[in-house]
Amino acid sequence: MENKINRRSFLKNSTFLGMSAIIGKDLFSAYPKGPWPQPADLPQISVVTGSDYLKASYKAVELLGGIKKFIPKKSKVAILPNTQSKHPGTHTSPEILKAIIRMCKDAGAKEIRSLSWLPQKFWDESGLGETLQTEGAALQIVGKEASFFQPVPVPKGKALKEAWIMKELYDCDVLIDLPISKDHVGNKFTGTMKNLMALNSPASNRTFHRQNWETDINDLHHLDQSIADLNTVIKPTLCIVDSTEFITTNGPFGPGKLLRPQKVVAGVDRIALDSYCANLLGLNPENIFMIKYGFEHGLGEMDLKKIAIKEVAI
Amino acid sequence: MFLKDCWNKKWILFFVFLIACISCTKDPLEKDIPKNEIAGWKRHGSPEEYKGEDLYLYIDGGAEIYHEYGFSRVIVQNYSNKNGKFISLEIFKMKSPESAFGIYTFKTSTQGKIVDIGTQGCLESYYLNFWKGKTLVTLTGDDQEEETIRGLQEIARAVNARLQDGSLMPSIVSLLPQKDLIESSVKYFRGNLSLFNNHRFFEENIFRIKEGLNGEYRSGDVVYIFKYDADQESHKIFIKARENFKASPHFSHFEDLKGNEIQVKNEDEKLIFMTSFKKYILIIVGAGNPDKKRELVNAIKEKA
Repeated sequence: MENKINRRSFLKNSTFLGMSAIIGKDLFSAYPKGPWPQPADLPQISVVTGSDYLKASYKAVELLGGIKKFIPKKSKVAILPNTQSKHPGTHTSPEILKAIIRMCKDAGAKEIRSLSWLPQKFWDESGLGETLQTEGAALQIVGKEASFFQPVPVPKGKALKEAWIMKELYDCDVLIDLPISKDHVGNKFTGTMKNLMALNSPASNRTFHRQNWETDINDLHHLDQSIADLNTVIKPTLCIVDSTEFITTNGPFGPGKLLRPQKVVAGVDRIALDSYCANLLGLNPENIFMIKYGFEHGLGEMDLKKIAIKEVAI
Repeated sequence: MFLKDCWNKKWILFFVFLIACISCTKDPLEKDIPKNEIAGWKRHGSPEEYKGEDLYLYIDGGAEIYHEYGFSRVIVQNYSNKNGKFISLEIFKMKSPESAFGIYTFKTSTQGKIVDIGTQGCLESYYLNFWKGKTLVTLTGDDQEEETIRGLQEIARAVNARLQDGSLMPSIVSLLPQKDLIESSVKYFRGNLSLFNNHRFFEENIFRIKEGLNGEYRSGDVVYIFKYDADQESHKIFIKARENFKASPHFSHFEDLKGNEIQVKNEDEKLIFMTSFKKYILIIVGAGNPDKKRELVNAIKEKA
């Protein structure tokens, strides 16, 4: 009896630890959420340019201090690539996903999976499904119904008061945000912050687009505010942005004009990362409402002059 | 018993007739999809169709712009060839030819090559768009190799042959002076989202456009024409826009010119000229040459 109670307490505390790490409570979390005080010799953003995206991904993480800094041994890791469309420049590169899975394994992760409410065919058509399978990571597809999601209050929310986050996420210890930076017709840019909508229920995501969006620009503000609000309750441990090849028009679905800076950009400060990557699209981050609202929430730094950025070419 | 039999048969006949009527009025999109092999490209998998709000299931996050222009339904069919290449065919049925024209202008760029397919067609580095009647067709390849580019055009021609014409340009397009106009630059707007993606004058929705367009000229000038329902409406919005140009920190060197005209500079030091006349607001960006600007304004006013 005593053993059972102890085991139950252990499981309960472990679950709470896992939830804390992901949903942003500062207590008990062992994992850096950022912005975090960096040793002077480590950058806050690493940028690696090169045509070998697998190698570039390894290097980007190495420059931040190495994967073991982010992935504890025996942890359950959720990786969130973007698989929204099969068209060139619209989804995360399978090579980058491959690199991250291998790094997590090297760090001793117990389990690695991607979570999604998009159907299997999206994963098949982008090639990301095959990468997960080949590299021994799982793809967990959940339904779109409310029963697969959990209501999460958004205390700092100005537009979004309650999110509906995928229940499966709370079974994980670590979240790696793996977006592609690209154009988006709704708000001009999508990167680390917008990518997290993939963990929020489709029904909740639709409320981000209010009914009057066609006639009321304030609805565009609503979309961006909702995204910023969502980011206050989901905090990835690490973000790796695919800025290798992406569309600069007709996003997020494409097809559109392709740009090939061939950069893998990594860090934990989503505001800084999105600001850096928005620049690659020729956009001023101050004109992207979502970045501005995220900054106002205290999620990170918009002024890249205040961020330590290390750029290398391989 | 005999009467009951007749009664039942009557209802059966009625429902069969009803179903037949519905089938006749429904226009299946699948008929527009080329079924046979085209220059080595065969259909890969079954087609998928999405209607109305279901477009969000296909283009999650990117459906709004189609709805702004007026979307009805889309059918998607993939093609592959023996070399393992793929082409995706999307046939969008919009609510009107103007809607199809509009979304075509949104999706194409001046870097594309004009192709003689449909009413207008544009071939970009790995994709092709054309429109005809109420239909926009988009074909997307996986790469930019010659084999894929040829495939895009062959399949596009095969689809074009199956489409009915009935193309109609929005009348507002005729207001643009043709002299020195870069034709492939014309963008037609049906709301704020399409304008916002082209040029964001303000953070707020000041212009409240339901219909508008822009066109670029070889002089470097870009002309915007917004059309409203009535003269009073265009004038009221002109006044509001004037106040915002004057007050916004993103603009400088504000100047009231004669009559209903203002000019101001943007952050790129480009001159912006704005006027309202009848039910239109006209804006010229980059109007550095006053003679050229006046020429454009007069030409547009004459046509309106």
